[in-house]
Amino acid sequence: MVLLESVSTMDFIGTKLVDFLTYTGFANVAWANIIMIAVGAFFIWLAIKKDFEPLLLIPIGLGIILGNIPFKDAGLEIGLYEDNSVLNIFYQGVRLGWYPPLVFLGIGAMTDFSALIANPKLMLIGAAAQFGIFGAYMVALALGFEPNQAAGIAIIGGADGPTAIFLSSKLSPNLMGAIAVCAYSYMALVPVIQPGIMKLLTTKAQRQIKMKPARQVSQTEKMLFPIVGLLITTFIVPSGLPLLGMLFFGNLLKESTKTTRLAKTAGSALNDIVVMLLGLTVGCSTQASEFLTWNTIFIFIIGACAFVVATASGVIFVHIMNLFLPKDQKINPLIGNAGVSAVPMAARISQNEGLKADPHNFLLMHAMGPNVAGVIGSAVAAGVLLGFLS
Amino acid sequence: MRKLLSIVSFLIASSAAMAQGAHDFKLNEVFVLGCPKQCTAVDDSGYVSPAIAESCPKPEFYVDEYAQPASWIEIENTSYSTHDIRNCFLTINPAVLDKNMSAPEREKLMSVIPAGDPRTSIGAKQRITFFADGHTNRGTLHLNFTLPVGEPFTIYLFDGNAVDLLDSVRVEALPVGSSYARLDEGKWQVLEADKVTPNAPNVTYNNDKIKEFKEKDPHGIAMTLMCMGVVFSCLILLFVFFHIFGWAMNRAAKLARVRAIRAIHEKAERVVEMAKQGTTETKGIEMENYAAVIGMALHEYFGGTHDLESGILTINQTPTTWADKSHELRVTPQHHQAN
Repeated sequence: MVLLESVSTMDFIGTKLVDFLTYTGFANVAWANIIMIAVGAFFIWLAIKKDFEPLLLIPIGLGIILGNIPFKDAGLEIGLYEDNSVLNIFYQGVRLGWYPPLVFLGIGAMTDFSALIANPKLMLIGAAAQFGIFGAYMVALALGFEPNQAAGIAIIGGADGPTAIFLSSKLSPNLMGAIAVCAYSYMALVPVIQPGIMKLLTTKAQRQIKMKPARQVSQTEKMLFPIVGLLITTFIVPSGLPLLGMLFFGNLLKESTKTTRLAKTAGSALNDIVVMLLGLTVGCSTQASEFLTWNTIFIFIIGACAFVVATASGVIFVHIMNLFLPKDQKINPLIGNAGVSAVPMAARISQNEGLKADPHNFLLMHAMGPNVAGVIGSAVAAGVLLGFLS
Repeated sequence: MRKLLSIVSFLIASSAAMAQGAHDFKLNEVFVLGCPKQCTAVDDSGYVSPAIAESCPKPEFYVDEYAQPASWIEIENTSYSTHDIRNCFLTINPAVLDKNMSAPEREKLMSVIPAGDPRTSIGAKQRITFFADGHTNRGTLHLNFTLPVGEPFTIYLFDGNAVDLLDSVRVEALPVGSSYARLDEGKWQVLEADKVTPNAPNVTYNNDKIKEFKEKDPHGIAMTLMCMGVVFSCLILLFVFFHIFGWAMNRAAKLARVRAIRAIHEKAERVVEMAKQGTTETKGIEMENYAAVIGMALHEYFGGTHDLESGILTINQTPTTWADKSHELRVTPQHHQAN
């Protein structure tokens, strides 16, 4: 009797163990999952070993791994796309587009617009670099994407991750994972992509142009900038309100001098929390079944074109501006690349390339002008695309 | 005072928000349940007896929770945010337009939309349909009046205060099975029986924008030109503003500096004048202090002012006495000899 009971218990344990095994990742794994896990590991390696944007690539890399852990679809409420799962709750910030404005709040609270206010003509470089977006739009249309999908992909050319997520969540939600990963990947690869194009489009003499030091900007001007900027941009493009509103709000917190505590929180703790959740959930959204498609490959190709066009158009636009500027006010074309809104990486590249051409030429503060103008420009471009196509 | 101002502003803001929500409700479609004359299945309240209705033609009617067809009034939330229509009023009684009537009197003539039912919370661009069957006991969606068959009437939608008229529409006698619906740009039109749309949009909205761009701008050139135009416009406006403002700020700063220097010069000139005249009147100030002030003023006057600087920082060595190494050393280093 006891023997029979123990046999039945063993059967029970055996059945349950076999059942349990069907739930494990080993039983559900597919080659696509392995590939995506390798991609996630590669991102983490890039971030740690090569120091490519670790703040972005580590959450995204781990998110890719997390999103591709295979499991049995048994309603356990654990997957990113399953209602009520923790990851799904985090993902709402991406899906409904409220992480990007919060990131913009942090960017606004951290950004010093002095360089732009001191030399406002640098704003035009930030506008010119947005050609990258529309170059990519044309390429995407040529590859057969619908206008709304093409717009979602094209915004990668703005080199602005939060804007890319915001726009793609509205216009082409099915491509958002690929677009976000592509945008952040290329932003991390800015130091690899931009210098070659900058050198190709400039002569050594042009790279050695020394710019006049910027004038001192008063606190009144700094305080006025977010208010005037908000009014002008959002009156023209109300659809950019979530991004532009938060950007200028963050900046006003910083510059008002009365809300330093709020600015500090928006630019540090809050921003870090949102970046962590954003990176992780964007990474998770790249589940193999959704991500490993021809569309993703096309998006990466278009993204590369967008970055090249954006960088080139910024540099070329400086050449055009120099045709009309007096000799003592010429702009170093190496700051043209900073028109893309990858802040402050693009400006840092201008600085590095400038130092290579002339060790006494410091371009960082000059490059910050077009760089922050690029943030405004890409948010405006996103607003216009949203207005036209939503 | 500050607190009072904050409270007043908050109240103004919140009252505006409430009004905005209510004013987004619009009457959207009206249906009057009627039957051909030969049919006697419908009584005065619009109730159709299922047994007798067998003999009637059978048009498809929108039915209530009791599976009973009835006249209905559809209201749309025309905004892009959720609003609750609870406590608003509906009526077809024109007496409510009497401006001398008090709110409580007016309320008695109308059918209130009860609170406490989640269905009265209407999402963005969504609709709610009320049955005008006179049976309020049947639930929130039932009104205390019926719609007259074969004769014109006007429906009034009032805000919760029973004073503000939110919307109204005059409905002429409708053909059997037809409805009267608000279409594009607020125009009303009779919809035939097969086009009646209870609890659904009267017009099908398609995102034609994407289709239009695909057809008319297949290469994206127009989009590029338009968008770049807008991006440049925004940043050019900012450029113009801050260019002018920066110039004005510079000018103001320069003027302030010139004014300060001029004031110092004037003061110094006055002191020099006093010194020349040998004035000894010190107006109660001690003579030593007075002399020190005169000395300082003369020093500033004769070149001691530092209000205008070049603003240039350099690492090139320039011969200045303050950086002279000899100032940092004793002229003749001395040995301290032990005693």
